[in-house]
Amino acid sequence: MLLSLEQVTRLYGIVIGVNDVTLTLPEGAHGILGPNGAGKSTLLNLITGQLRPSKGKLTVLGHSPRDPALLRRLGYLPGSEGMYADVSAIEWVTYLTQLQGFRASDARQRACRAMERVQLADVQDRKISTFSRGMRQRTRLAQAIAHEPELLILDEAFSGLDPIARHTMTTLLQQWIAEGRSLLIASHVLHEIESLTRSFLLISGGRLLASGSTEEISRLLTSVPATVELTLNEPRKLAAQLVASGLIDSVRVEADRLHATTGSGRELAQFLAEQSVNGALEIFEVRSSDDSLQDVFHSLMKLHRGIA
Amino acid sequence: MNATLIERIVAVFQFEWRRALTWPRMTWMATLAFFPPALLLLMRWTAGSFEIPWQGAAIAIFALAPSIACIMAVFLWATPSISSELEGRSWVYLAVRPDGPVAVLLGKYLAAVTWALPVGLIASTLSTLVLVREQVLRMLVVQNSLAILSCIAYAAVFLLIGVIVPKRAMVVGIIYGILFEAAASTIPAAINLITIQHRLRCLLVRGLGFDESMAEDNVVFQAYFGQGSLLWHTGILLAMTLAFLVIAVAILRWREFTTASETDT
Repeated sequence: MLLSLEQVTRLYGIVIGVNDVTLTLPEGAHGILGPNGAGKSTLLNLITGQLRPSKGKLTVLGHSPRDPALLRRLGYLPGSEGMYADVSAIEWVTYLTQLQGFRASDARQRACRAMERVQLADVQDRKISTFSRGMRQRTRLAQAIAHEPELLILDEAFSGLDPIARHTMTTLLQQWIAEGRSLLIASHVLHEIESLTRSFLLISGGRLLASGSTEEISRLLTSVPATVELTLNEPRKLAAQLVASGLIDSVRVEADRLHATTGSGRELAQFLAEQSVNGALEIFEVRSSDDSLQDVFHSLMKLHRGIA
Repeated sequence: MNATLIERIVAVFQFEWRRALTWPRMTWMATLAFFPPALLLLMRWTAGSFEIPWQGAAIAIFALAPSIACIMAVFLWATPSISSELEGRSWVYLAVRPDGPVAVLLGKYLAAVTWALPVGLIASTLSTLVLVREQVLRMLVVQNSLAILSCIAYAAVFLLIGVIVPKRAMVVGIIYGILFEAAASTIPAAINLITIQHRLRCLLVRGLGFDESMAEDNVVFQAYFGQGSLLWHTGILLAMTLAFLVIAVAILRWREFTTASETDT
């Protein structure tokens, strides 16, 4: 088991960072999605032992988070930069690898391999202060993978990267996953995670909104209110029929368009199909929440906030 | 992957030393080392033909070299050990290593002591050579020994302050220095027993044989310099140092040190 949280709550005084989260994750790659301030970093701080839960219990790879035995198996790229500007990249990565428990020569070799892997071997002797944002980010990744951990944890790994650096980082992480290692990546940008994994957790306000694959979340969404937009010949007539059928929660008509909110997506789709086949209506376009992660994310956020 | 904790402490020590080898830092340390002898040289020059008493010279050297110079050197090094990492947001990289915080703390302690030692030794030696004319060797041995003990003990106490109040470490360090080491250490009551300065003074008077010229049952003497032998006070000082370090390590293991920016709530 990669991760197990049992009613984990973390409070900062009266502010809730993580709120009663219970989940288990198998080994593999998982994304943690949520807007800024959702509690992603707090969750990662709990997982890496930087914070202790105010309530509940969590284990990572079967260990409690501050257990040195776990820290030997874990690589972490935090959200903040925090690098020493006055040392060379290789010196910094070697130092951190030594702290991980490797002797000087071994640590140096591993650091060199990691710098090669992040494609910075040719500039590894340069001071970090001379690096671009992308190079610094890759150096930070190098320190996280130099000791070849079983679990790599990344917090906003793509933040501030240009498209080329993003591509390089994505390729690196895809290779990491392909090697059968575990990855936990937190981000507020969906497509960053979509290219790496189909398994994700959605969190907002410190609460776990949903977890699973994109498809599982989509299935979940069929039972929650969703907005449907139709373009058709007789929107007012259909609006009346929908209200009579009780399949919708609200309806609005604008020229040839009808906007409806429903909590019975499956039944509504069936009803519309029947109406269309019967020739009672000419429907030109139906738009609804599709399978994209972005829509899933927004729908769950709306549900959580009580908007939907 | 089998480096021991000691090897990791040494790794931190070496890394900190390499990082610290900068001209500004070395200039600052040199200033601290040469300030006491320069001041005493000026004192000797203004004294003219007046011979400065041996005991007075000993107290002046002690006040400037093993006390002020050593305290300043370790204060600047040890106090911000943790706060500099927290402010630079580099702490998290160290904290996610097995026993990383402990290795960092003790490695930085060693670096602080070894950076401050040359300051204390140069200051004590030159000050003695500038001011003392008789029993020079004895004075050199005592003042240099006190400089070593001063660096070892004060580095531990400032490190502890840095761990307890990382966000206000320097301010609290100065307040501690003034309230405890300067003021409380001179109060002839139980409170001075827990100050490093009191122990160093006890060692000074015993090391230089001041106690031989005063009656051991002298109440005033006992109030200021206590009882016990040279070995006793040295033992107490080293025990205090060890206690400070153990407490600092315990707090570091127990405490949460995340910075606000990493706490995305």
